[in-house]
Amino acid sequence: MKQTKAIVIRTAGSNCDYETVHAFRKVGAEVDLVHINQIVNNKISLSNYHILAIPGGFTYGDDIAAGKILANEFKFKIRDQVEQFVADGKLILGICNGFQVLVKAGLLPEIQLDSDVQEVTLTHNDSGKFEDRWIYLKPTSKKCVFTKGMTEPVYFPIAHGEGKFIPRDDATLSRLKQNDQIVFRYIAPDGSQPDYPWNPNGSVDDIAGICDPSGRIFGLMPHPERHFHPTQHPHWTREGLKPEADGKKIFLNAVEYIKENF
Amino acid sequence: MGEICEEHGALVDLEKVPLKYEGLSYTEIWISEAQERMVIIVPPENERKIMKIFSEENVEATIIGTVTDTHRLQLRYQGNEVADLEMEFLHHGVPQITRKAIWQKPVISEPELAPTGNPGKILKQILSSWNVCSKEWVIRQYDHEVQGGSVLKPLVGVENDGPGDAAVVRPVLGSMRGIIISNGTNPKYGLIDPYAMAASAIDEAIRQIIAVGGSLEKIALLDNFCWGNTDKPDRLGSLVLAAQACYDIAKIYGTPFISGKDSLNNEYQIGDTSISIPPTLLISALGVTDDVTRTISMDLKEEGNLLYVIGDTKDELGGSHYLEILGLESAKVPAVDPVKAREIFQAISSATKQRLLRSCHDCSEGGIGVAIAEMCFAGGLGAEIDLSEIPSSDHLNQDDKLLFSESNSRFIAEISPENKEKFEEILRHVPHKKIGIVSAERRLQVTGIKKNLIIDEQIEDLKEAWQKTLRW
Repeated sequence: MKQTKAIVIRTAGSNCDYETVHAFRKVGAEVDLVHINQIVNNKISLSNYHILAIPGGFTYGDDIAAGKILANEFKFKIRDQVEQFVADGKLILGICNGFQVLVKAGLLPEIQLDSDVQEVTLTHNDSGKFEDRWIYLKPTSKKCVFTKGMTEPVYFPIAHGEGKFIPRDDATLSRLKQNDQIVFRYIAPDGSQPDYPWNPNGSVDDIAGICDPSGRIFGLMPHPERHFHPTQHPHWTREGLKPEADGKKIFLNAVEYIKENF
Repeated sequence: MGEICEEHGALVDLEKVPLKYEGLSYTEIWISEAQERMVIIVPPENERKIMKIFSEENVEATIIGTVTDTHRLQLRYQGNEVADLEMEFLHHGVPQITRKAIWQKPVISEPELAPTGNPGKILKQILSSWNVCSKEWVIRQYDHEVQGGSVLKPLVGVENDGPGDAAVVRPVLGSMRGIIISNGTNPKYGLIDPYAMAASAIDEAIRQIIAVGGSLEKIALLDNFCWGNTDKPDRLGSLVLAAQACYDIAKIYGTPFISGKDSLNNEYQIGDTSISIPPTLLISALGVTDDVTRTISMDLKEEGNLLYVIGDTKDELGGSHYLEILGLESAKVPAVDPVKAREIFQAISSATKQRLLRSCHDCSEGGIGVAIAEMCFAGGLGAEIDLSEIPSSDHLNQDDKLLFSESNSRFIAEISPENKEKFEEILRHVPHKKIGIVSAERRLQVTGIKKNLIIDEQIEDLKEAWQKTLRW
């Protein structure tokens, strides 16, 4: 069994790289924080890593659309490396802006970096505003490597202006459901179907995160790395510190998957 | 360049500075305030390395000059010398100007305050006022949890929407040390008494740090002066008084000013009349805590817990929200007694160190009435309060004054009954009194000094009053 190695990719405007690196390190991965140009210029090779994470932020100022420019760098500058990474059965995680990058690059809902057609997108919240708030999520996929064993609802913060998940058409949505690719759905605190603000952005079918058909590429709008430590829970001063924070399992699952498979 | 090379001297070739727009003169290049630029000094042997790092991250970096040993600022443009000044003259050559400053106390005759018939209604009006109402609309729209260090968020309580006193952040994930960030300001005091206004702003910022679990041991302050045109003697007079308060209070609290900024000349001219903003000081305070798990939030936690007021409630309604609603004025702006306040802060810190408090909230705009209302609706619990118990060295005997006086250095604290004796022992040298209990009934019920029920409001109605003004 080799040491699990994770690469967190940053560029101008990434701002959740620090906590994403911290989360992977705490669950035992060796983590490098690397500027995208280092990969584009072949200074660092993705093949040295088992897990690739794209953190939250506003890459390139979210110009054009959130995550679009970094997505194009994946499509046009490092496509071969990324395709090989996926073909090797490795893991990719995109959080918030990273999720936006994955769907716009054609890594989600299934890998098609060469396609001009985008199957799903994340667009402006129904509220028309950036919002930072905590929401409840129900894990719904048996397939996703990152949420293995998670059955109970989790509590994570969202912090985005463009998080409304929209599939291209009904057929795309049906396919996501049939293939067990819907990983997280927003729910109300009592577990029922959510209205705003519990579905904070108007996402279709309350979808907060999806994976590819293999379950190894996962993107979500909420921030599991911001509920990694019990002091991050908004109610800890009321309810006391919980032994484990909800988000930790996602990072732990990734590292354990690599240990078992590589 | 002038600042960073003050000790040695600098030679700059202005034509090397990258320009956003063509056609700037060398003077414009030198004084342009274009954003997102910074100057760094690099030893010559690191030149290649550092340029490589910038180029790898698509950051434009340009070598524009060298540090010299001439103690002069020398500027060239396309080979021609365009400036040559001694650094000594540049930094210390400005002649000191003596300006005239005057301050005249405004003449305000003290109002006759008839006891209000409906303090519940007044309370809701204060909760709805601009400076008190919920700022959720703003807070939600910035990412206040970025980098994962958030321990206490700006919005707290059972529904994540109550007004937290300060934010606590762990800048180094993995360490339990944290920084506490708060601020204090009150634009309604400055026109009446700029010294008291500045002292109150400092006191507010600091007591909010104390309220969430910090201590006076490690607090630094920043000032932000927002004033009119200080070339005018009366504007300058109020600035001098405010600056004196900053000096006096910070010395006694042992909380140094580490930085600040000013925004002067805030005046608008109509014909011959020039209207100034009210002189206003915003204080930001930054504290350090060695253990973030001692942090407490302001939302009520549990039915049956005891509620205390700590600090002295005085006849200080000048500039208060209460008088504003009544359309009255008073010169009695809340003063700060920094020696007594320091004792109060130290006592509360000592109680939070021992983890005796379940919640704590400072009293500011709207006084005890607003503080308790906020604690109730943030915690989703009610409270039964008896005003006759409130310590008052002025022997206040009017319900409205006790409820809405904005005296400084006061807190409301919630403790569980089993900590009563320990808590009172810690507070023995400072004014304090148990004034009520937390109730499961979702109502704020206040008994007046004549033992009659003067407020009986549902917490949902209080919260609605507080949220409706700037509703999300």
